[in-house]
Amino acid sequence: MSHTVLVCDDAIFMRTMISDILNQAGFEIVGEAESGLQAVQKYRELKPDLVTMDIVMPDMGGIEAVREICKQDPDAKILMCSAMGQQALVVEAIQAGAKDFVVKPFQPSRVLEAVQRVLG
Amino acid sequence: MADPKYAALFLAEGREHLRACNQLLLDWERDPAAAEPVSGLFRAIHNIKGMAATMGYAGVADLAHRAENLLEAIRAGRPATPDLIQLLFRSVDALEKAVEGASAGAGEPGAELLRALDDAARGPGAPVVGTPPATPAPAPKPAAARKGPIGHLVGVTIRSGASMRGARALLALQRAEALGRITALRPPAAAFEREGFDGRFSFHLRTDVSVERIEAAIRSAGEVAAVAFDGSVVIEAEGPQAPARQIRVDLQRLDAMMKQVGELVVARNRLLDLVRGDGSELAELAGLVSRLVSDLQSEVVAVRMTPVGEVFDRFPRLVRDLARDLGKQIRFEAEGGDIELDRSILDELGDPLLHLIRNAADHGLERAEEREAAGKPSEGRIQLSATRERRSVAIRVSDDGRGIDRGAILAKAKREGIAEPSVEVLTDDLLLRLLARPGFSTAVRVSGVSGRGVGVEVALGRARALGGSLDVHTEPGQGTTFTLRVPLTLAIVRALLAQAGEERYAVPLAYVAETVEFDTRAVTALRSREALVVRDRVIPTVHLRDLVAARVDRAPARRPTIILEVGERRTALVVDALLGQQDIVIEPFDAPRGMPPYLGGATILADGAPALILDAAALV
Repeated sequence: MSHTVLVCDDAIFMRTMISDILNQAGFEIVGEAESGLQAVQKYRELKPDLVTMDIVMPDMGGIEAVREICKQDPDAKILMCSAMGQQALVVEAIQAGAKDFVVKPFQPSRVLEAVQRVLG
Repeated sequence: MADPKYAALFLAEGREHLRACNQLLLDWERDPAAAEPVSGLFRAIHNIKGMAATMGYAGVADLAHRAENLLEAIRAGRPATPDLIQLLFRSVDALEKAVEGASAGAGEPGAELLRALDDAARGPGAPVVGTPPATPAPAPKPAAARKGPIGHLVGVTIRSGASMRGARALLALQRAEALGRITALRPPAAAFEREGFDGRFSFHLRTDVSVERIEAAIRSAGEVAAVAFDGSVVIEAEGPQAPARQIRVDLQRLDAMMKQVGELVVARNRLLDLVRGDGSELAELAGLVSRLVSDLQSEVVAVRMTPVGEVFDRFPRLVRDLARDLGKQIRFEAEGGDIELDRSILDELGDPLLHLIRNAADHGLERAEEREAAGKPSEGRIQLSATRERRSVAIRVSDDGRGIDRGAILAKAKREGIAEPSVEVLTDDLLLRLLARPGFSTAVRVSGVSGRGVGVEVALGRARALGGSLDVHTEPGQGTTFTLRVPLTLAIVRALLAQAGEERYAVPLAYVAETVEFDTRAVTALRSREALVVRDRVIPTVHLRDLVAARVDRAPARRPTIILEVGERRTALVVDALLGQQDIVIEPFDAPRGMPPYLGGATILADGAPALILDAAALV
């Protein structure tokens, strides 16, 4: 059975791109969220195997969402999607419970490596 | 391998490692159960061994190898007794000698020490000679003091092409943390987020888990280029400083560079002088060149700045040895080690500080019985501190000992006819001058009063030579503080130019508190000397034209006055005119015999004329 994924990003472009990469690799995208708040709600509903999380989003940012999700499920597997120059935020997200990160612009191979590490 | 470049590198790096060794041994002695000092020592000595072997210095390599064996045995569980630690102190001393002498082909370490090391490494139990820690040994039962697993020193390198190496390093660290307790993280985690973090870090992991599993866990964080264990871990420069990229530069090159910048500054000043008042494009360009030269100058000065800790670091060990030799209990504290000074000044400070500290330990501090009888803690204290003051640095050596007996010193001075019989109070100033008299203090010491040997003489002489000063403050029963003040940098200083008669003189700004107008109405007398009242403070005056015996025409009625300040002391220097400020380059000065002490050197002014530099410390 393929792994289920929740994709969180406020930009449709990024959601589409991540979904495509993961779809092609055989993952099942079970939901999308465009804010941190939505991400927390959908995580509770869908219990996905993996979450990809943008850092800067309206209505609760990605780091806050990581904190909330990990509070509910300490084993949540969250992959941060960050832009260059956001190292301090990524560090904060890792401290909040994120398991790995990828840096935009995304290279499909990099994303998949990170996903494997998180699920591994 | 006879390349002198490598020899110099070997020497520089070897010294660094040995300094670290001394510090680690002191830490260890304080807490013999701690594991970190042992790992640190092992690494440092291992590095020395490797370097020495590469250089073909067999003696050094052999000694290091044997010391390493002993450390290895201790890591494997041999209890660290005071005797063993003392043996390692001796080995580090011997290594110091061997490292210093190696390039000169000097003597080998004594056979007795080598044997002692071997015996200690072999110990009463298991023979553990020369086996590197490839696998966590089925160790002999660890000493009671070190319960639980010993663990490993782990070094991790994040792939150089990886993005956000700091965040990746944190992930790797978290993976390791899941396996045990992490200590001795270098650099500290805060450095991970810094711009220059190079993706390398090391830590000690206390765990039962095998190295293979540790490595697998760390690699699972992704982008890990290498994981190293124990002896093969290379430690990055320690401490919280940003791990900036560095290169080593021969000090002579910096000196040459500084000298040339100095000449450039003089030429720049002359150029500015020539185009002054000229509104042309040339003047504009000269202004630009001037700013660039200033920037260059401050860069070069900054490059030469070195933290005083480099000199301070050698004293904890010295005090420990002194305490042992003297049979006293001494606690040594140092602070302000991060304050920076020009390298060439710093190099001159080791000696005088050594003398002052030795004096404090030997003469200043009482024996434990005497201290207890006086209601003091039996452990005496010596403090070494550095603080920034205006454009100078003050370095203090304080002890909480018995203080200097002024009465005895004064009586002695009177007997010898050095002090007038009418003098009733021995000021700190006069005390210092007496202590610095070569024959004097020795004589006092012989009479059993707390005297201060040749140290004060050396310290005062060095301070003066550097354009600085020395002060003493002592309280009976409370202790003594010597304050050594030196300028931040030697080669180029900002100075105030003053005129007396026909001549111009430079006064380094480091010691100028302010300038005021000499006003006859504000003149008063202070102990039969002329003095000036400046904002309710009575300051003795010195007239520069009297001092230099300027051939006079009449002195102008209104005369500017420079208030010189060295520590707490002030003097009002009355001059004929002030001519503004200028950066001056202090020329090395072979003082002719009989040169008055108030002259500290010479310089070339912007217009190409020479001028003498006044030594503020000798005037106040």
